[in-house]
Amino acid sequence: MKNILRITILGIMRDRVFHGITVAALVFGLVPVISQLSMRQVTELALTLSLSLTSFLLLLLSVFLGGVSLWKDIDRRYAYSILGLPLRRSDYVLGKYLGIVSFILLTATVLGIVGALFSYSAIGVYPPNRPVLWENYVYAIFFDVLKYALLVSFAFLFSTISTSFFLPMFGAVCIFFVGSSSQEAYNYVNSPEAAALHPAAKSAITALYYVLPNFGAFDFKTNAIYSIPMDYQGLMLTFVYFCCYVSIVLGLAVILFNRRQL
Amino acid sequence: MSHPLELSSVSKQYVSRKHRVDAVREVSFAVAAGEIFGFLGPNGAGKSTTIKIIMNLIRADRGTATIFGTPSTKAETRRHVGFLPENPALYDYMTGAEYLRFVGNVHGMPKQRIRQRSDELLMLLDLLPAAKRAIRSYSKGMLQKLGLAQAIIHDPPVLILDEPMSGLDPLSRVLVKELIVNEKKNGKTVFFSTHIISDVERVCDRVGIIRNGILKAVKEVAPLLREGIEAYRVRFAEHESSAEQEIMVSPDDLTTQMVAITSTGGTIRLLEPVRKNLEDFFLHIIRED
Amino acid sequence: MKKMLLYLLACTILLAAVIPPFVGYQKQKSFAEQLGVVPRGEVLRYVAADQKEFLAASVVLKVLIYFGGRSQALPNQVQLPVDYPGISRILHSAVKLDPRNMDAHYFAQAILVWDVKQIDVANGLLEYGMRYRDWDFYLPFFVGFNSGYFLKDYEKAARMYRRAAELSGNPLFIQLAGRYLYEAGRTEHAIVYLTAMEKSTRNESVKKNLRTRLEALVAVRAIENARDLFASRFGRQPHSIGELVQRGMLSSIPHDPYGGTFYLDEDGSVRSTSKLAFGHLNQPSTEVTQ
Repeated sequence: MKNILRITILGIMRDRVFHGITVAALVFGLVPVISQLSMRQVTELALTLSLSLTSFLLLLLSVFLGGVSLWKDIDRRYAYSILGLPLRRSDYVLGKYLGIVSFILLTATVLGIVGALFSYSAIGVYPPNRPVLWENYVYAIFFDVLKYALLVSFAFLFSTISTSFFLPMFGAVCIFFVGSSSQEAYNYVNSPEAAALHPAAKSAITALYYVLPNFGAFDFKTNAIYSIPMDYQGLMLTFVYFCCYVSIVLGLAVILFNRRQL
Repeated sequence: MSHPLELSSVSKQYVSRKHRVDAVREVSFAVAAGEIFGFLGPNGAGKSTTIKIIMNLIRADRGTATIFGTPSTKAETRRHVGFLPENPALYDYMTGAEYLRFVGNVHGMPKQRIRQRSDELLMLLDLLPAAKRAIRSYSKGMLQKLGLAQAIIHDPPVLILDEPMSGLDPLSRVLVKELIVNEKKNGKTVFFSTHIISDVERVCDRVGIIRNGILKAVKEVAPLLREGIEAYRVRFAEHESSAEQEIMVSPDDLTTQMVAITSTGGTIRLLEPVRKNLEDFFLHIIRED
Repeated sequence: MKKMLLYLLACTILLAAVIPPFVGYQKQKSFAEQLGVVPRGEVLRYVAADQKEFLAASVVLKVLIYFGGRSQALPNQVQLPVDYPGISRILHSAVKLDPRNMDAHYFAQAILVWDVKQIDVANGLLEYGMRYRDWDFYLPFFVGFNSGYFLKDYEKAARMYRRAAELSGNPLFIQLAGRYLYEAGRTEHAIVYLTAMEKSTRNESVKKNLRTRLEALVAVRAIENARDLFASRFGRQPHSIGELVQRGMLSSIPHDPYGGTFYLDEDGSVRSTSKLAFGHLNQPSTEVTQ
């Protein structure tokens, strides 16, 4: 597994993905400029832009790397050579998964630091209403990484049952958007405004809420942007939720990949 | 003692929406330790399917493939196996040396040993100049040779090679054939598939012939070759200065003819067996039905 | 090679020829077109994924840039009307996306309550925001002002000002809670409020807008003071502002920065033909005050 992890990261690096990220990260240079436009919340806007950009780049990474990685190995028959080695398929899948997640973590760290530096330059000139809690900033990015780790596991799950990369890529994008708003939908269903909704629709949405991943839960941006104190118990629960969910999805992916005929 | 490789009643059917294709039907054979077994058949005969089943890339519907008695579905059986896939695809972002190091690591070889074996094989297969280049830039033949190197880096007792000679230039073909024969000399077992009859002729101890998913015959190669000799072509000169003559001699008359030529002061310039082509034998088997 | 260069050159020239009319076309697009239709915040929330704060901030910035473009027009340019209802809808969406976005609240308060007069809508949004920005004294300050000045709900205004005072520790809000919450103190109330608002923004367009209104209200206050002085001295309401000047209560008729002319209506209130807003002068018979 360690060997697969290592060569997966090497592969991502050699494919110049990091170069791409670096070019995209140049957009961070705009953060101090754009945040000047704010009337009353320069720092908040700078943090919003930094975190949003980081999250967006991580989303692109997860969808592309997660969607393409396994598919490419199968499509180009790299998997034949690799699986001819004394490796269990589970080690292969998990090694690749961990390689991608490690790369996402690395990228998030770099982007996080760049974003923090640019935001910091804005704070120097226009102090915020409330002092920035950098600890929250770190939490926000870390939980972003967890969110995308979960998304990559879905991309892997789709890859194990698909022969093209459309399902993993678009499946991951869809599940990301659905999972990001499942909390909203659930809240709506349980609000008085939803009284007119058909009971079947309500229970369907509720069922989906429990089955689909709740990506919204990993969003701690507001805590970082507006310096709202963290609920540590909530963080812990979210982390445990992540661990359980990702274990199930990866477990399924491994089971399906074990049965896969190459 | 279990065989290094044994298949018993292996069947595999591919099912698509419209067709059912029997890729392999009830294939059974065993490869003995230290032999070179050629797996011969035309394209689409079921060679690749059989090898994929042996390597656990696909699952047999029925029957089992075992490596030293252990079902090949277990990953650890592949510790004893070196595998070269057909037209191997190796992670092309790595260099040849890196790939060998990676494979050595997966086999749990010590670092020192990996470096030593890798240098040895790169040298042997004439890949040393390309060792530090990305595999992306390799020619088809180089890729094939690197594939072979990664299959034998851990010195496995069993080699499973899918079309090892395809895509090679004549020089490399000789190199690879020598390598296979060498492995046998070192006590290794080699199983390889091919659709080229002469490959079998030169190196194999036994040959299995597959067609339409059915194993038609398993034969020893040496007796086949011996039985196949129909005549000898003899070229000789009666005197030092006279012109060369060529005659065909039946195997039974060979000794008397030789004596006849040499006793009159003639010199034999060439002696060559003329076989009923092995090809005819295979074609005969393949066209049987 | 030469052919290729020629081809590129031809394309470049073509592009250069297209650019001026293209840019002109983009410019003359109406605001709704420029901004596109921003869906309601309640809907946007579902598709914004984890970019709610960013989306909110970006639509607010769009509004700011649009507003800046419209209000910073040079004197010799035609002053285009501002699409306030459009702005209002977009800010509404922004607040629903990110109830903590202060720019949205601030802009809505600074511009919309005066120019669109949707006080109840504004208060609704602000009170929604207060649930999230529970540390910020500006929101209760805004609601307090709107309630006191526009809706004349003095009890609520006082309650909000006290909350603002608690959050900020600033005695200004205690003053506001007590002193100006009655009909006669209305103009003074607005002046204090606008002064505070004007100080706390960095956006030049908004600052300018507030300053103009402040200037107008200072003029109104001067006329009101003169009118009250007149009444106390002569025991009756003056007939016109001219009378106030005549009697020496005012040195001159103050200038209306919106371009209108101040006058006194039947009950003695100070009004302006501009309705204290730009763009009303050309319309006939518009005689309502701020």
